[in-house]
Amino acid sequence: MADRHPTHIYQLLFSSNMKPPEYWGRASFAMSDVPQNWSSEATIPAPKASGYQARIAHELEAASVDPLPSSGRIDLFCSRQDTAMSDAKKGPLREFLASQIFVGSSGKILSHIGNMAQGFLRARRQKRAMTTISPKNTTHLDSVAVTAGDRRKPNLALVGTIAVIFLATANCKQTDPNEIGKKILHMPLRSKVSSLDPVRGGTSYSSLAQSVVYEALFEYDYLARPLRLIPRLLEAMPSVDPSKTIYEFTLKKGINFQDDPCFPNGKGREITSNDVFFSMKRMADRANSPKGWWIYNDRIVGFDEFRAKQDERPVGAPFNFDEPVEGFEIIDDYRFRIHLKQPFPQFTYILAMQYTAIVSREAVEYYKEEFDSHPVGTGPFRLVKWIRGSKLIFEKNPTFREEFYPSPPPSALGNVDPSLYQAAGKRIPFLDGIVMYVYEQDQPMWLKFRAKDLDYSQVPAEYFDSIYCPNGNLRSQLSADGIQNYNLELIDFIYRGFNMEDPIWGGFGNGKLLRQAVSLATDINEINDAFYNNTCVVYDGPIPPGLDGYKKGILSPYRGPQIDKAKALLVKAGYPNGKGLPPLVFETSRGGNSQEQGDMLARQLKAIGVELLPNYNSFPELDRKLKRKKAQFFSLAWGTDYPDAENNLALFYGPNEAPGSNNFNYKNPAYDALYEKIRTMDPSAERTAIYEKMRDMVIEDVPAYGSMARIRYYVWNSRLKNMFPEETWYGWHKYLDVEVEP
Amino acid sequence: MTAYVLRRLLHGIPIILGVTIVTFILFHVFGGNPIASFLGKNATLADIAAMEKEYGFDKSLPLQYLDYLYQIIRFDFGRSFATREPVVDMIISGVGPSLSLTLPALLLTSLISVSIALVSAFFRGQLVDRLLVFLAVIGMSVSFLVYIVLGQYLLAFKLPLFQIHGYEAGFIDRWQYLSLPIIVMVVVGTGYDTRFYRSVMVEETTKDYIVTAFAKGLSRRRVMFVHMLKNASLPIITRMMISVPFLVTGSLLLESFFGIPGMGNMLLTALDQADLPVIKAYTVVISILFVLSNITTDVLYAIFDPRVKLS
Repeated sequence: MADRHPTHIYQLLFSSNMKPPEYWGRASFAMSDVPQNWSSEATIPAPKASGYQARIAHELEAASVDPLPSSGRIDLFCSRQDTAMSDAKKGPLREFLASQIFVGSSGKILSHIGNMAQGFLRARRQKRAMTTISPKNTTHLDSVAVTAGDRRKPNLALVGTIAVIFLATANCKQTDPNEIGKKILHMPLRSKVSSLDPVRGGTSYSSLAQSVVYEALFEYDYLARPLRLIPRLLEAMPSVDPSKTIYEFTLKKGINFQDDPCFPNGKGREITSNDVFFSMKRMADRANSPKGWWIYNDRIVGFDEFRAKQDERPVGAPFNFDEPVEGFEIIDDYRFRIHLKQPFPQFTYILAMQYTAIVSREAVEYYKEEFDSHPVGTGPFRLVKWIRGSKLIFEKNPTFREEFYPSPPPSALGNVDPSLYQAAGKRIPFLDGIVMYVYEQDQPMWLKFRAKDLDYSQVPAEYFDSIYCPNGNLRSQLSADGIQNYNLELIDFIYRGFNMEDPIWGGFGNGKLLRQAVSLATDINEINDAFYNNTCVVYDGPIPPGLDGYKKGILSPYRGPQIDKAKALLVKAGYPNGKGLPPLVFETSRGGNSQEQGDMLARQLKAIGVELLPNYNSFPELDRKLKRKKAQFFSLAWGTDYPDAENNLALFYGPNEAPGSNNFNYKNPAYDALYEKIRTMDPSAERTAIYEKMRDMVIEDVPAYGSMARIRYYVWNSRLKNMFPEETWYGWHKYLDVEVEP
Repeated sequence: MTAYVLRRLLHGIPIILGVTIVTFILFHVFGGNPIASFLGKNATLADIAAMEKEYGFDKSLPLQYLDYLYQIIRFDFGRSFATREPVVDMIISGVGPSLSLTLPALLLTSLISVSIALVSAFFRGQLVDRLLVFLAVIGMSVSFLVYIVLGQYLLAFKLPLFQIHGYEAGFIDRWQYLSLPIIVMVVVGTGYDTRFYRSVMVEETTKDYIVTAFAKGLSRRRVMFVHMLKNASLPIITRMMISVPFLVTGSLLLESFFGIPGMGNMLLTALDQADLPVIKAYTVVISILFVLSNITTDVLYAIFDPRVKLS
């Protein structure tokens, strides 16, 4: 008895139609070209009495050869005790062997897997008797090349181990040991953060993530509604000269950049006037692909020229930040002036935008291309870890200046929830850290919120009915869980627009009548109800609720649905019941419920005989068509950049035509003249009156119609304190507080 | 064999070139220039022109294509439009999370579905077989999304056995987040694979050697689980090898729903944002992987089945 290692792999199959008993006897098998002892023999039994055909399987055992050969040759011998086999009798058997021999070798793969799995697979040795072939009376019949391998059986431990790993690693709600005893805010981001560089963070979620690290010169009063601008890094609001073109600013003293290796000895230094201008100049550097240059474009004396000069520098030459800009005047380390080309009352709003946050030159030069992911600001938190596309972890900035929660006088309380004042006068930030999780799908975000893994959430549209009663109150189960809510009216302009240069739908002749007819045929309330749970504010014109120039109620004589009136306008335009009118191509973005919205609009317009052809685009495709004036009729939304209607009215200013922000290519000289007048005016009743006049021009000419403003529904768990959400700016996260992790 | 592999690798070059041409035409000719949308809503023509120059969009299409080929040769696809990260770094950082999800899922799926297929073939035509086939059909018929939604709600939120969403970079820490998506992937994959492997097994049961084995008096279990499984190894290997490129590409849905920062998630974002450098790099990587996996499959065939000759 010899040990056989590590089991057989060869399987020989043969059969014969030959009649017994001529060929039945002992058959022997041997491996050639391999070490000795690779041999076996088996008895070929007589066929069953029922017929002459026999099928015989034989497993050839590998002998104890170590290491196993990877290939070789099998020879079949037939050895009979009586006589040698004649050639005539060998033929049929040989023929059969050539077609039927099979070698099983899947064990090779398992072997490799086993090795990689570090012991999950274990070999099992089998002990089999070994026989040898007798050279006598043996006839060589055939040879077949084979490939060998050891067969190893998977141990059941593999399955068990995997199960254990799953059970051990799965589950559950666990508190991170690093968070125990600390105040950590867990919050969602509904889109990936593309960059932590202020000049490049074009999306609201990038701005949000940046806002806890970087600070702009201004911010908004956390508790004031309507929004009120206040100084953030400044001692006071700037002084403005009588010409309203020179702004003088004074920085607060003692505001330091966060400690970081980019500074000497890793110690953050105090910010100065130079940092403000350095940060502004970065917006002029095209190498940064800045998304916000428009905020400075044609505003500051010498800044456009500075940019043009930098553009013309030799290829490979660095951007010269030391080159002076005429409109940037440094008085000392803390005081500086900015000279504007013409009055621009919204300039201070601009300086509250995240694009204008102050960065340090040391960090930009130290981290170079990696500056994107190494934010070094003056804010209350600093970045600890960023798993792109997954989460960002921030910790409290230990060197953050002494700053306090707002404590306005009682007379200023207004309608704000009194509980928001409980922290008045206390030093901020209250939090030890913030973890921002990226959710590109709504379900996991909502489930994480309900599991109390998130401290606050926005309410996804599909969950609206399960969260709110028909009267708009939270459902009792959520209230019982201590969940609180706030409905934030966004300064939003969702609209359907026309290309005013389109030969049929554009212009101020028949095209205007057609646009008015389309507006009259559209039932915006039905769209609001079907796709927004009736949560949007429907309004007329381009000025959303909350801004000067907005007026509640129906202002437009073309607010639909008024089918008869729409049909009458079509007759007047020369297209009765839409006859002779080519289809109206509707360009809209793909995804969400765009297709259903397109279908509904098509149905509504069909009532007056206008055929709508919806065309669904990716956002870049849609954007491209708009920039090239190729979109006949389109749907889009504009998030107002600062709380002044001037920002929305600029969308219809002629010189802003595509590829500028005037996607409608609306050019009305009277409107343009009014815009040029109001853009240098301070807030006043006179300016508001002009805003209203401009709004009514847009309503009458219908370059856009069907305006809606979204309401963002915020909910938060009882653990979170001081929550008063806002989306015009995001720096308010420094005021939040949470109960300590148990 | 070496000559064969080299020859196949050479043959793979035109395939990859073909893929690059199709990709290039699709995105550059039909897709147009996505630069403007990356510069924000108020980008000026000069801003757009500057970024076009930076990314080579100001060159003629043939020159842009040659640039693309040069990028492939150097395996340097430049920087993402959206994040400005080097695309190669993005791919490298995405492969790990994707493999962590797909590799265990593939191994488990194969193990489970082969086992079920064997049992099903073992009880062919009987109640057990019909039940298993029924379950497999259910498994493959129900949408991936349903499993995700139900899995997250029932298993992760209600019970809760798993994490609902998230990811950790640490090799040990990540599994608590990957367990549920792996299970979802296994459930869906098992339905498809079981049907396939069962048909392979059933076909094997008609072969002469099986009858012979039974005639020899071997037990049914031994015939099925020892002899038949060996013979069915080639289709198993083939199917697993076909899956190799998809291991690297990850899963668009699962990665998106579970917040796994893998290749699928990366592609979804890139497609959504028309991030051409990322899309082009991804396409090239996938086509190279397909060519390599095909060659590897053929080589494995020759290794495991002596009837197959590489020539």
